[in-house]
Amino acid sequence: MNAVTKNKTTNLVMDLGRRWALIFLLIELIFFSFFAKGFMSLRVFQMIFFFGITVFLLGTAELFVIITGGIDLSVGYVMGFASIISAKMISAFVHGGMHPFPALILGIVLTLLIGLLPGLINGLLISKLRVPPFIATFSMLGISHGVAELLLLNGAAKDLPHLANLIGNGYFLYWAPGPGLSFFVRPEIPRGGFIIELIPNIVVLAFVVIGILAFVLKRTVFGQHTYAIGGNVDAAIRSGINVGRHKVKIYMLSSFLASLAGVIYVLMYVTGKGDAGAASLLDAIAAVVIGGASLYGGKGTVWRTILGALIIAVLETGLRVMGIPTFDKYIIVGVILISAVLIDKVFPEKTYTDNKE
Amino acid sequence: MTHVVSETIQENRKLAFIARNWAAFFLLGFLILFSFTGKGFLSVTNFQNVGHLAVIAILMASAETFVIITSGIDLSIGFVMGFASVTAGKIIQVLYAAGEGMSPGISIGIGIVIVLILSLIPGLVSGILIARYKVPPFIATMGMWGITNGIALKICKGFPVATLPEDLTRIGNGYLIYFKSGEGISFFGLPPGVGNESIREYIRLIPNSFIFIALILLVLWHLLRNTTFGQHTYAIGGNEEAAVRAGIDVKRHLIKIYVLSSFIAGLAGIFNVFQTGIGNFTPFGAMYELFAVAAVVIGGASLMGGKGRIFGSVVGVFLIAFLENGLLISGVVPFYRFIAVGLLLIIAVVIDQLFPDLL
Repeated sequence: MNAVTKNKTTNLVMDLGRRWALIFLLIELIFFSFFAKGFMSLRVFQMIFFFGITVFLLGTAELFVIITGGIDLSVGYVMGFASIISAKMISAFVHGGMHPFPALILGIVLTLLIGLLPGLINGLLISKLRVPPFIATFSMLGISHGVAELLLLNGAAKDLPHLANLIGNGYFLYWAPGPGLSFFVRPEIPRGGFIIELIPNIVVLAFVVIGILAFVLKRTVFGQHTYAIGGNVDAAIRSGINVGRHKVKIYMLSSFLASLAGVIYVLMYVTGKGDAGAASLLDAIAAVVIGGASLYGGKGTVWRTILGALIIAVLETGLRVMGIPTFDKYIIVGVILISAVLIDKVFPEKTYTDNKE
Repeated sequence: MTHVVSETIQENRKLAFIARNWAAFFLLGFLILFSFTGKGFLSVTNFQNVGHLAVIAILMASAETFVIITSGIDLSIGFVMGFASVTAGKIIQVLYAAGEGMSPGISIGIGIVIVLILSLIPGLVSGILIARYKVPPFIATMGMWGITNGIALKICKGFPVATLPEDLTRIGNGYLIYFKSGEGISFFGLPPGVGNESIREYIRLIPNSFIFIALILLVLWHLLRNTTFGQHTYAIGGNEEAAVRAGIDVKRHLIKIYVLSSFIAGLAGIFNVFQTGIGNFTPFGAMYELFAVAAVVIGGASLMGGKGRIFGSVVGVFLIAFLENGLLISGVVPFYRFIAVGLLLIIAVVIDQLFPDLL
């Protein structure tokens, strides 16, 4: 074997190694299509995205924070807090005589505005008072948990209009033999009749937001500054970036996404729950790390984070279809999380000189 | 002139003492405040209860103290504890049910020994990953969190492990001294012939758990303060480069630290079995590891490493424990405790920022 072909094979191996997450996802899909009966169906695939939304959104939130070299432990409980406050407000508006649709919109918009507050406080603590992100966001975890439970003292967060359920569990596109194609509104068909339902509404909503953020991170000055801060803070300061201000924005973005996840939770389950996102923190951070980001900052993309989240979502859904208790999921996610860091060390990212060859 | 200088130094020393021990002063303040607002707060029974319930948090915080001094973090301890508790429960249950010549004492003893050995493994794995393969501590121990949690849930199939011998809770919730005026004192249990229903007539002093935790704390305190092991721990956290140059085998030491942390978490699991009488897995909302980190930071440690004391961490645990207990007894809704701990934590770090060079 001469030197050139040898170089080519190593390049190929390196390229494949760098895309290990994608290959792993494919292996997962092939495995489950053989061993999980009924896995290969439109329904199951939509389920993967539908139940994966929390991790997609919290993962994206965590990604922005982790790129700057920080961490946000509060996203799970900020999500729970947002779910309770939006459910409470919407039901209060409806009971106050408002029509369901404006009540829903107003409740959601107000929640998303209030949802900026935890992030603002986190950001100020971290950038102005120099509190380590781990401590500041853990404090915020406690505070949003406490406030959420206090809000529940005078009754559970329920009594939402039926419209919430229609939106949260509805689909973007319907097709039935008689009435044909229709958007958003389920056509009237006889019970048990044939109908194709495509793309849940909330998946559309979540991916519009995630798509915008992917664009922001990759193509705008905001994204550039985010990477710059994570790569080298000193250099970022010298090149005139207002690092403190940018960090505040990043933590606000993170808690905004957590609140969005809370609102979507309310649309899905038609109730608010204080610990709605508590168990998703591990998954969210795991998704970011599996997606190749480094906790030391400066690395990571939205698309690869979604890939990481998909690996977890496919695993969870596949095990469920197979009828295996999801306890195994925790073990496998833990192993993948650790392996991700080790694999990324073996196949480091392309450097400038690699590209030139 | 010299007089003035020495005065400022003394002034600084006083300030440094206060800044170093602010948590202890805060604790004292809370105790005074709550003894006014809460009826029954200032009583031996209440203090013993708070201490008894805080035992597991104290173990967690001491484990985290060692790790945080080396500028690492161990997120797995809460679930290692659950794993230890469930495994111990399962072993004792199986041996006890097998009966036939296996006395409860022996089955409990075997369970404890096996679990303490098993609990070294998570720490060994995360230690090797961190020291040899340079995986960030956050990720390595978070992975171990998932793995130990999954294994614990698999062992117990999602339900607590029950039907264990009653000796467990008798020891775990027992007291050193039982006293009733006119009848005298008996140790480690009610006097023979007295039924369990009349236990409330006795004055009970010093829970057994206090004796064990005091012994463990003494060993850990000595280990951190007076031994080379402790010195190396501080050295690594203060400046890893310098520690390497000074000839410390940093990798080996880090592995030892994570093994120690995991071992202490295993001990906490054993305590848990003794206190509750069943093997419990750790629920997601428990956040033992995060509260342990909070206690350690409140106790004056820095996440940057090189700083921290066992005494400080214990004060941190008691600050949180008495805050929760005091609020509860004063009739405040329990959910304020989450908020209170959050605020306390921020205060801790800000005080730390205000007096950096005094400490």
